[in-house]
Amino acid sequence: MFEAREMMVFYENMIALNNVSIDVPDGKIIGIFGSNSAGKSTLMYVLSGIILDIKKKEEMRGGERISVYGKLTLDGEDVSSLKPHLRAKKGIVLCPERRRIFPESTVMENLKIGSYLSDKERTKDNLEYVLNLFPRLKDHLKRQGGFLSGGEQQMLAIGRALMANPKVLLLDEPLMGLSPAYMDIVIGGTKEIRDTKGITIIITEQYARPVIPIIDNGYILENGSTVLSGTGAELLDNPDVKSAYFGV
Amino acid sequence: MMRKERIDRGVRVRTAGLYAIASWQEILYLVGPPLFLIVGAIILPILLEFAPYWKRVINIVCVYAIIALSFDFLANFVGLVCLGGAFFVGIGGYLSAIFNVYLHFPVYLSIPLATISGAVISTVLLMPALPLRGVYFAIVTLMYPLLATRVIEALNIMGGTNGIIGLDSLPNAYVEHYMVIIVMLIFLYGMRRFVNQDMGLVIRGVKDNDQAVRASGISVTKMKAFAVFVSSFMGCFAGAYIAHMYSWAGISLFALDFSIIPIASVVIGGGGTLLGAVLGSFILVPISELLRNFGTFRIVIYCVILTGFIVFKSEGIMVYAMRKYHQFERWVKV
Repeated sequence: MFEAREMMVFYENMIALNNVSIDVPDGKIIGIFGSNSAGKSTLMYVLSGIILDIKKKEEMRGGERISVYGKLTLDGEDVSSLKPHLRAKKGIVLCPERRRIFPESTVMENLKIGSYLSDKERTKDNLEYVLNLFPRLKDHLKRQGGFLSGGEQQMLAIGRALMANPKVLLLDEPLMGLSPAYMDIVIGGTKEIRDTKGITIIITEQYARPVIPIIDNGYILENGSTVLSGTGAELLDNPDVKSAYFGV
Repeated sequence: MMRKERIDRGVRVRTAGLYAIASWQEILYLVGPPLFLIVGAIILPILLEFAPYWKRVINIVCVYAIIALSFDFLANFVGLVCLGGAFFVGIGGYLSAIFNVYLHFPVYLSIPLATISGAVISTVLLMPALPLRGVYFAIVTLMYPLLATRVIEALNIMGGTNGIIGLDSLPNAYVEHYMVIIVMLIFLYGMRRFVNQDMGLVIRGVKDNDQAVRASGISVTKMKAFAVFVSSFMGCFAGAYIAHMYSWAGISLFALDFSIIPIASVVIGGGGTLLGAVLGSFILVPISELLRNFGTFRIVIYCVILTGFIVFKSEGIMVYAMRKYHQFERWVKV
């Protein structure tokens, strides 16, 4: 059980997240939808702890002051002030927006970097699992990450996150810039990860249509606050949501 | 829950942009700080009449401020980290010596001529390095002054290791002071204006994303070359001035000091503000003069100050001061 209670984030005086609370039961897929500037990425930064890192960098640079409030718990344990690398150790792993793979390392090396936290046995298992999940990666193991296509880079990014033995996997806009065919592969892969490994997944997306069939629960963010939450079917039934996020 | 809020002062909001100046306080708020700097710099030589040793330091401070301006512009507005500030100084110094000693030009001609021709020569010589970025450009520019020193030594040209002696010095101490002070102020405020002009905006664009600039149909190499010209122009003036101040141009004009101390000043003052570069020199150079008695131990103190600034206050004094001047903080309820 991963819970975020009353998360508030300010970038200087601008409010980016306003009282957002989400519940993530074990083994479920949670969808978070919203347009640009709704606060999706900020929420992901908060959940993964990257926000603390950004905050520190801004402080050093004399830039914006970022204030973060709220409580995050993972299985009853408070993780709100944990640094990002310690959160990753606890099993909260982020697959960042725009993939951020290591462009000058090969696919194999990228995956190995991801498995820094796990031991030899598990790395072997995980590697096999990832390569079965996304067989296209098998053909390019020796290629540099930067030379992969966008879709393959996304698979690699998800694979790299999986190598870190996540309990909660955060996927930030995994469908950005993908063709419909690749969207299907990524969405299918996401569902399979949940079904076979029981990993909890939080997925953010602007274009909700391909994601909605696989989610258990969804939240809709607007200007930093949740305006609607419910199961996938409930969200689909809402006429406003339909026109705004599903393009129907 | 309480949150510390940071908002612009009312006077800042009123005076920004529209220039709706209604009262003396607002006018003072706008022109106060630059006026303080300008007037302060101009009366400094008179104030220090009683401390002749420190009067000499003013010139050195201003020279370093000019070199720091040239580094700050190139590093924080063009994205070229140039570790070869001494190269510009050396070129300017030697050229003015050649003009003055070999060609018998008067001081008033040799300094401007050395500045302009030095900037052209430096730009042409740095041209091959312009496609490089980041650490590669830094390394190549670090090599240039070393290269110049060795060439002069090996070929024994331009006085060899002895340097060129017997340059005309400036007519009197006040001309010496005010020449460098006024030129420094012109460079400072000129550059502050320049980086917000059309050309300056394009040059800043080159730093952020040169591919986007190229896609807009602008030649990045031309822009970089022009920026190097502007920057070396300032560096060469500093060199020409130093040569006349000491009546001597030698290979110590290519010394590492002229590359490193300006960089340290920019770090302390705050990069990307231009004013910070000047402020940093006004702090750092007198400190290093004060510590002269400690001999080589001053390098240690110097390093501690620098490291402290980078680790604990990497924004620099100027950025911090500007924030305090323009904004205030208060606690608000979340």
